[in-house]
Amino acid sequence: MPTIAVDAMGGDNAPDAVVRGVAQVSLTTDIECLVVGDERRIQAVLEGVSYNPEHISILHCRDAIGMAEDPREAVKRRDTSLLVGIRAVAEGRAEAMVSAGNTGACVLGCAKHFRLLRGIRRAALASVYPRQQEKPGQDRFALLLDVGATIRCEADELVQFAIMGSAYARRVSKVASPAVGLLNMGSEETKGGEILVEAHRRLRLLPSVNFVGNVEGNDLVRGKADVIVCEGLLGNVALKLIEGVSEVLYSVTSSAAERRLAWRLGLRLLSRGIERLRVLTDYTQYGGSPILGFEHLFIKSHGRSTAHAIGNAVKVAAKTVRDRVPGEIADVTAAAR
Amino acid sequence: MRLRRTRRPDAPAPEPALLYRWDLDKTYLRSEFDTLRSLLRTAFEKAEDKVDVPGVAELIRSLKSAAERRGRPVSVQFISASPPQIGSAIRKKLALDRVPYDGIVFKDQLSNLKRGKLRNLREHVGFKLAELLRGRLDAPGDARELLFGDDWESDSLIYSLYADVIAGRLGVDRLTPILQRIRVDPRLVETIVALAGRAVVGDFVVRIFINLERRSPPGVFRLFGPRVVPTFNYFQTAAVLAADGYLDPEDAARVGRALLDAAGYTPRRLVNSLDDLVRRAHLTPAAAKALAPPLRAAGVLPATAVHASRWQSALGALRRLRRRARATPEPGTSVAPLDYDAILDRLAARDTATAV
Repeated sequence: MPTIAVDAMGGDNAPDAVVRGVAQVSLTTDIECLVVGDERRIQAVLEGVSYNPEHISILHCRDAIGMAEDPREAVKRRDTSLLVGIRAVAEGRAEAMVSAGNTGACVLGCAKHFRLLRGIRRAALASVYPRQQEKPGQDRFALLLDVGATIRCEADELVQFAIMGSAYARRVSKVASPAVGLLNMGSEETKGGEILVEAHRRLRLLPSVNFVGNVEGNDLVRGKADVIVCEGLLGNVALKLIEGVSEVLYSVTSSAAERRLAWRLGLRLLSRGIERLRVLTDYTQYGGSPILGFEHLFIKSHGRSTAHAIGNAVKVAAKTVRDRVPGEIADVTAAAR
Repeated sequence: MRLRRTRRPDAPAPEPALLYRWDLDKTYLRSEFDTLRSLLRTAFEKAEDKVDVPGVAELIRSLKSAAERRGRPVSVQFISASPPQIGSAIRKKLALDRVPYDGIVFKDQLSNLKRGKLRNLREHVGFKLAELLRGRLDAPGDARELLFGDDWESDSLIYSLYADVIAGRLGVDRLTPILQRIRVDPRLVETIVALAGRAVVGDFVVRIFINLERRSPPGVFRLFGPRVVPTFNYFQTAAVLAADGYLDPEDAARVGRALLDAAGYTPRRLVNSLDDLVRRAHLTPAAAKALAPPLRAAGVLPATAVHASRWQSALGALRRLRRRARATPEPGTSVAPLDYDAILDRLAARDTATAV
């Protein structure tokens, strides 16, 4: 069973939610968790929950990176749980890492200690998000990359993101030939400027990627593509927009229920459907987003992750190790060169 | 079996006899009685079909042989709340596992049924406490006891009550209301009070081991003080016993080997188990360090220790110094009186009287 390093001190609810998540995983799977952080605080949480110590080891360190810290400054400190965990993976003590901590620090930490796969120029932070299922058997989650690791990209890098995202979806979502789309301002191949036009041309010619052309903003939440590629700035804006719209919808629904009795009754009638929608769009179900392009996998969990979300992130990380995702990316990248 | 010793007047004082007392279901056997169907299946199960908890048979064999090597009189006793009707299957199972034992007591559930005492069928505190006291009266007055139970019933409570009664820390004036609060049969309360009055007073219960079969949070047992050691597997139990001197490291290695060979464990899982004991302060870092080489030599722990960097080693040493200060006291040292009201309040509040 793979060993997954888990940053116990990263995230808004750390270490409580993180350690509880690890404890849940230890009871239900054979995954070995190397929990990195303040041993005393980690043990204090473990004392109060059910866990299986046979699958848990602790790597002590005292420092932790705050969610609001400047990532560039934060990664200079060596004894933070994030950096100690990343180094443990780089040294072979664990095979992948999970953190709900500061996203920028996670990306910079990986860049500092992990080697990029051969042929890969830039790493990508991918995000898994819920979308409409248009075809039977389609995964209810799509992969959007990059969402912030590489702010501006060249065509070459967008092509590599497509290869990486496709390999990840093939291995993790078990989609034999994932549909890959390029996020653009129109479906025509001449749209979007020089870089996107060039990326489109090259992706069309790439046999290892099932390229379905440009996708527009409104296609993001539809089932047109399983993997959507874009530069980091655009991806981050798009992702936050999806999250924001979802949150506003819930907020509007809740306030509507308070205003009129008829609306409240209507919502009560729809409550089972709304609950199903909530489950469908619940980020805790998919646990976290991978940072792709390095020799080791890093799963970045949502900062507000609950124990359930952390548990799922650890399972996803173990799955990527078992399914040899970095190896698949390296193979496909080598074949595409 | 009654333990007897003779001693020449000029010989050095021998070490006191050892009395190992074991619960059966969920401590020795992986009995299933969560549902009526599994309860019935357990009742009619053949000895060959009964499953023991990994490592337990090896641990009992090792405890017995280690005591004999040291020349200490030793007795292994089982106390089970199961009815005597399943006794033959249990005895056959113990024989199949080559477990040496000197006595086994079952609960006469039929007489409870006949008397219409249906509550007594599930209430085990009174029964077990009475049997523990009876066994004590049969043992040498200064025999040291190690008690083994699990987290399904109330073993930690029963064993702690027993330890405090015979230590003289819990007089009948305090014991009686506790038993009444647990709703022990008044006739049994009378028996327990009478037996307690006859027991030789002394701090004879050295350790109480609780097998965390249902993975109860170990923090729950802090209320019972450092005498109670909750363990997640019998390798952990063996490690504490080796550190206490009741086993040799080779015995602990044999228990670890049983887990590796027959229960799908890996050396990594065992080293994690050892680390967990240190973090919970049931094993001092020095004891764990002393145990590691023979365990490693026996192939029970990973061959190479994970090497920490120099600064991590220095930090580790500092932490160990701090931890030593709050580590478990030596076995046999005096134990602070337990707050049974708080324990019972907690059990009532959590509505998990069967968990601890």
